[in-house]
Amino acid sequence: MVPDMKERMLSPSGLNARSRDMFGLRCLPGECVLQRAVLVRKKLTAREGGGWLAGTLFCTHFRVSFVPQDSPKPDDNADPVLLGEHDVALASIEKVVAVGPSRTKLVTPNSSLKFTPEELVLYCRDLRVICFLFDRLTPDTQAVEITYTIAKTYQPLKPGCVLAFQNAALGSVEMKQFLSNRRRDGQMNWFESVDEWERELERCGAKGWRVSTVNDRFEMSTSLPRYNVVPQRVLDTELKRTFAHFNEGRIPRWSWRHPRGSDLLRMSSFQNNIYHEKDDTRNLELVLFGSQWSLCVVVDLGEEMPSPADLHLAHSRLRALCLGDISNSVTVPDDKWLSTLESTHWLDYTRCCLRKAGEVACLLRGGHMTVALQESEDRDMGCLVSSLVQVMCDPHCRTQEGFQGLVQKEWVMSGHRFYSRLNYHRDNDKEEAPVFLLFLDCVWQLWSQFPSRFQLTDHFLLALYDSTHLPLFSSFLANCQRERCKRTQHLTQTYTPVNGWRDVLPRGGLSLSSPTDSVDPPLPSVWDWALQYGGGRLSRFTQPVPPTPPTPPPPVVLNGNLNTNPDIRRMSDTVQGSVFLLSRGSFSSPTNLLPWRGGGGGGGGGGGGVAAAVYKRSHRRAPSSESLSGLERLLKATALTDAPQGLTSTSTSTTGPQGSPLDHYEPLLPLLLGPCMRVWKECYLRGVLHAQAFSHPVSSNHAHPVVRLALEVQQLHEQLALASASSSNSSSTASTINKPPPPRHRRPDANLNQNTNNGTFLFPAPRAQARPVPPAPTSSSSSANPKTSRVNSSASSSSSSSSSSSSSAAHKDHPSAGGSAKHTFLFGPPASSSQDPRAEPRYYPNAKLPHGNRPTIGS
Amino acid sequence: MEKHPAGPDGPKKAGDPRRPSVRAPGEALDSPAGSHVEWCKQLIAATISTQISDPALSKDSDGAALDDPEKFQVQVQLKDVALVTGESVQLRAQDVMYICPFSGLVTGMLTLTDYKLYFNSLEREPPFFLDVNLGAISRLETINVQSHGEDSRGLELVCKDMRSLRFAYKKEADQPELVDLLARYAFPLCKGLALFAFQYQEDFPVNGWTVYDPVMEYKRQGLPNESWALSRVNSSYQLCDTYPSLLVVPTCIPEDDLRRVAAFRAKHRIPVLSWIHPESQATIVRCGQPLVGPHDRRCKEDERLLQTVMDANAQSHKLLIFDARQSSVADTNKAKDGGYESESFYPNVELSFLEIPNIHVMRESLRKLKEVVYPTIDEASWHSSVHQTHWLEYIRLLLTGAVRIADRLESGKTSVVVHCSDGWDRTPQLTALAMLMLDSYYRTLQGFQVLVEKEWISFGHQFTARVGHGDEDHASSERSPLFVQFIDCVWQMTRQFPAAFEFNELFLVSVLDHLYSCLFGTFLCSSEREKGAQELQSKTKSLWSYINSQPEEFTNPFFVDQEHHVLYPLASSRHLELWTGYYARWNPRMRPQMPVQQSLKELLGLKLELQRKVEALQKEASLCDRASPPPHQGAAPLRTAPTCT
Repeated sequence: MVPDMKERMLSPSGLNARSRDMFGLRCLPGECVLQRAVLVRKKLTAREGGGWLAGTLFCTHFRVSFVPQDSPKPDDNADPVLLGEHDVALASIEKVVAVGPSRTKLVTPNSSLKFTPEELVLYCRDLRVICFLFDRLTPDTQAVEITYTIAKTYQPLKPGCVLAFQNAALGSVEMKQFLSNRRRDGQMNWFESVDEWERELERCGAKGWRVSTVNDRFEMSTSLPRYNVVPQRVLDTELKRTFAHFNEGRIPRWSWRHPRGSDLLRMSSFQNNIYHEKDDTRNLELVLFGSQWSLCVVVDLGEEMPSPADLHLAHSRLRALCLGDISNSVTVPDDKWLSTLESTHWLDYTRCCLRKAGEVACLLRGGHMTVALQESEDRDMGCLVSSLVQVMCDPHCRTQEGFQGLVQKEWVMSGHRFYSRLNYHRDNDKEEAPVFLLFLDCVWQLWSQFPSRFQLTDHFLLALYDSTHLPLFSSFLANCQRERCKRTQHLTQTYTPVNGWRDVLPRGGLSLSSPTDSVDPPLPSVWDWALQYGGGRLSRFTQPVPPTPPTPPPPVVLNGNLNTNPDIRRMSDTVQGSVFLLSRGSFSSPTNLLPWRGGGGGGGGGGGGVAAAVYKRSHRRAPSSESLSGLERLLKATALTDAPQGLTSTSTSTTGPQGSPLDHYEPLLPLLLGPCMRVWKECYLRGVLHAQAFSHPVSSNHAHPVVRLALEVQQLHEQLALASASSSNSSSTASTINKPPPPRHRRPDANLNQNTNNGTFLFPAPRAQARPVPPAPTSSSSSANPKTSRVNSSASSSSSSSSSSSSSAAHKDHPSAGGSAKHTFLFGPPASSSQDPRAEPRYYPNAKLPHGNRPTIGS
Repeated sequence: MEKHPAGPDGPKKAGDPRRPSVRAPGEALDSPAGSHVEWCKQLIAATISTQISDPALSKDSDGAALDDPEKFQVQVQLKDVALVTGESVQLRAQDVMYICPFSGLVTGMLTLTDYKLYFNSLEREPPFFLDVNLGAISRLETINVQSHGEDSRGLELVCKDMRSLRFAYKKEADQPELVDLLARYAFPLCKGLALFAFQYQEDFPVNGWTVYDPVMEYKRQGLPNESWALSRVNSSYQLCDTYPSLLVVPTCIPEDDLRRVAAFRAKHRIPVLSWIHPESQATIVRCGQPLVGPHDRRCKEDERLLQTVMDANAQSHKLLIFDARQSSVADTNKAKDGGYESESFYPNVELSFLEIPNIHVMRESLRKLKEVVYPTIDEASWHSSVHQTHWLEYIRLLLTGAVRIADRLESGKTSVVVHCSDGWDRTPQLTALAMLMLDSYYRTLQGFQVLVEKEWISFGHQFTARVGHGDEDHASSERSPLFVQFIDCVWQMTRQFPAAFEFNELFLVSVLDHLYSCLFGTFLCSSEREKGAQELQSKTKSLWSYINSQPEEFTNPFFVDQEHHVLYPLASSRHLELWTGYYARWNPRMRPQMPVQQSLKELLGLKLELQRKVEALQKEASLCDRASPPPHQGAAPLRTAPTCT
């Protein structure tokens, strides 16, 4: 923290700490305004609508904040929000540039300005460029002072600054109290307890697996989470002996099960220089094959995938290209854009990851095999590919909650080295690599090719991208669960949370050798969005028109019992215990693939022989070429989107009438051709200033027409309710109100599913979705008239009860959609839409799968 | 590829209650897909059916195969060529092989009509078909196909719409030579025949020829007014044979002066008004280059005319002349008796060059682009190969120029004169784009048609020469894809302002397809005079008849009519994209993943649904409560009232 902070603070800050409202800026508890400048205009990006916005600019010791002129008076009782719509955290700022009448100057903490800046440009780490224009009426001193203040306090990141920044943001007593009392989102799966892992197993219908607590004290592997999912057949005592055979003890662990019964595993590379005892070998095989006995494909993520160093280089090139050289504001000339873009290789890497994930997804679709992703450390590409596969295959992972759970499972818990890779402290440049950002880019590519299959939006991805640049979140401030826990435990000794320890936020971060750890604020999770952003931004995280309503797969399939694919069945008849290696798009079965088999690994010679004796059936016979070709056929399905060869019999048969319910799980295989890999402009190019020159309010930023329309209908409803209530004819009105469904029509139940029976396009009758009435209008109308409130509550009661279960997307399905509405185009009989909006909570947005004997659609 | 408005002429699928929608002929392949069909109509049907089937679709037809009657119908339909009114089959050839660059050889039947070439094969599952408008054929070539058997003949059709098709066939004695017949109908003008548009006799409920009425259009702009008058000086095309009969010129310039100006301007294309700003009265004026010549000739009348143009706008004491050409080329032109206005002879005039290369450069650029996108797309070096075509760079130049023009008019309140050499190539590109940015009317479905009719067709863009309708001379140096470039720029704008345009991508693709198809009279001939002479209005149909008969197909559901909003597209190559939906649409690997059109249409449906609900509620409200005022009408907020009911 800057030493002269105290002097710099503006005087009123101490006076009215309660109201937290200073000159119209709503401060966080304990936040001090250091400087402000009036009559400033902020340049809006094309996405924000373009143009200029007038207001007041503040610099606090945590952020640079801009409050538009006519922004509503802040509500003192609302929970604190770290960043307002126009704010930027000091830690996100990379460079401060002052533009004078004739010159441009990079302002550093030590530099002095010899001119009064007319314009202040903040270059941010997250590729934003924020531009403020001082008015002629802005007092010169204010313009100069705020530039100085920002330059002095933005803290070019270096070791130690992160902690100061965290303290600035979250360090006040009030804030700590607030964070400790904060309940975390119960909807998403945090994968922190045995229960939560079991919930996931149940959701995926994975049988034959159990949650092992053998690593509870991180004794077996320091980087693995406490709880790991391993085959039921392996006892903990047996399991313990396998850790030594894997790099960093990262044994094969279950990640996900495809509804066709394939399991996705992750593991690090084998330790070759170890003696494989006979018992070990059996356990190793058990662990690797998981719940299957037949077939295991090891997918090598080492060779083809970009290395972290590659990524770092590509990303910094891309940054330079998109942002221009910050210090001299020179950008790559327009006509070189395409070729320079190509030479960054960023898009090649994106394609490479998507391709690999597509291959794995196609393998899994084949059913009844184990696919194990192997990377030497299993902490970078392993995270990326396995989560990408799940985004492709599992619609749940395309919802906001599901996606957050996925990141929690595959990245945060499984030990992606966020702390090193993001390099907040700038003390470990060698380790820095934007692996997670590459993942977000890949997901964005998928999103842009299949927008209507996602419930989350690019706004969400962008917010997540931005949040990775803030060193505030426990999710990103540690390399593994152990580090996170160390900190939490330490804290809980000195600080007792109010709601008991299950409800404490996952806190983390490194205890930075500071002896007085109690001053460290409890760090929130990145998923606590309401802490980070206001409601406006949050509401854009999910689609106004939600994804294609998925057909819930029949429960039998979920249990892994239904195998409709004859080809696959034949494949599973092949030699038990076959292991193949997938590398560079082709399969092989090298003899030394599993070091404990054969005479492979160093020192394992004798043991190998014994193992062979024990496992006669598994590898005395060479893996049959038949299964090899079967696998290759599966893989060809990846190319299917590419190759126009028509459909192989395999895939047609899987998608025949019986198979059609499964199509919901058909992987989203992206097109990978050159034109299809696109630049995430909303992210990388939002800082390109020259491009904003001519931007204009008419842009994609407008509220979605349908949303607007829905809101209008909503208003009409309310007005109707009011009008009729005042006419004292309330009984008849209540019925009229109830007849049309609660109006906030969040989703058209438009079914894009092309694969329903008879191949007919299916457009189920629209279910007008029950939505909770937005609080403001309801409360106002109810306060106006007691009768109205009754009417209103009756109108919205059906909605609020059910929608509370799944907050943002209370999607309902209609059970008979497959039957009567089969040939209804677009929106069928609106009359029927009023009945029972609560029927059949859909599988989709909830984490839980539907159980038991639900009617299946289309059967 | 070409599909027809609804299917009175298409085979009826009688008695199938499960196919509720109107079917266009030839969509059997995607038949089960419901209204996906609409999307497929032009954009995808061609793609998918040509090379493969969309897996999703073929799954559908697979499903349908279980259902015997359906399968039967599919086959029946595929055997028949769907003909448009006035079309007749000229030749059928069995066992023709289509050498598909994506999926190898396909053997099937080739049908040649006087309008299209149709190829279908039932040997593949799902059935395969291919549909090419003869008008789109640029060049016919015989190729060597010895590898496909003795006495096989090979034929390659190089098309204007970015694809090349290769066939191998055996000559049968009793049949006329395929190549000759094909040439006869593909290049009718060279064989003394009329274009197919004159044979096409579809009846449309709407007459597209009435879309553009110059008087009405000028009236909409507030013309005539005290400074500008509608002049009949060119009523019999004596002043300028490539200009329309109705011109808007300054009130105070006598006709004789105009004639003298005409002598001083290339092709007699005098400065006339194209558009006037409703508030500032700043104008866009277009013309041909001044015939200055190497000796700096002057023309008093011309100088006075421009002075009057400047004076007509009280807001500014300047006049800007945008010369679309590269300054070096303009200098060369000067040596060849052309040239540009000298700032010393025209007081208060500012001249700038927009540095846009000529038609030959554009033609070459598109040729290179075709190599990049067809048939194979290189994955690794995609960006650099697109870069090397410079296509996007030229798009950027055009947009930048148009943005500059629009900005000077809107922000500078200054009148602008635009010309290139003859004032019929780059000039309409720039003026039409600038008008599109400035005037929201042109961003509606109707308005865009008016814009094209006005700036392009009536002001004499040389469609005949630039497109080469029915002409064999594929190497003609007069051909150039200027209109394609314009539509590409419009597409770029629709990408950047998705809610600002009432029409959708399908509309733009359809316009380009019919630019070549010779099915409609809209893009035939090069000037109003020629059009009148050929009696196009009575003898052919207008493309707009087809479009406006089914506007819902071409409507963008996100459209928000924001009047008086000026659009400034970002003309940086960072923000331009290659329009793969048009240029690379033949590549089956490029087929869009989502039926985008489909979801858009559903949104439209949803909107209607909601609006109905609102109306019902309003009615209810007024019924149950007469005493209190009815709830706030939805009219004000619902600016997005759809036009498609």
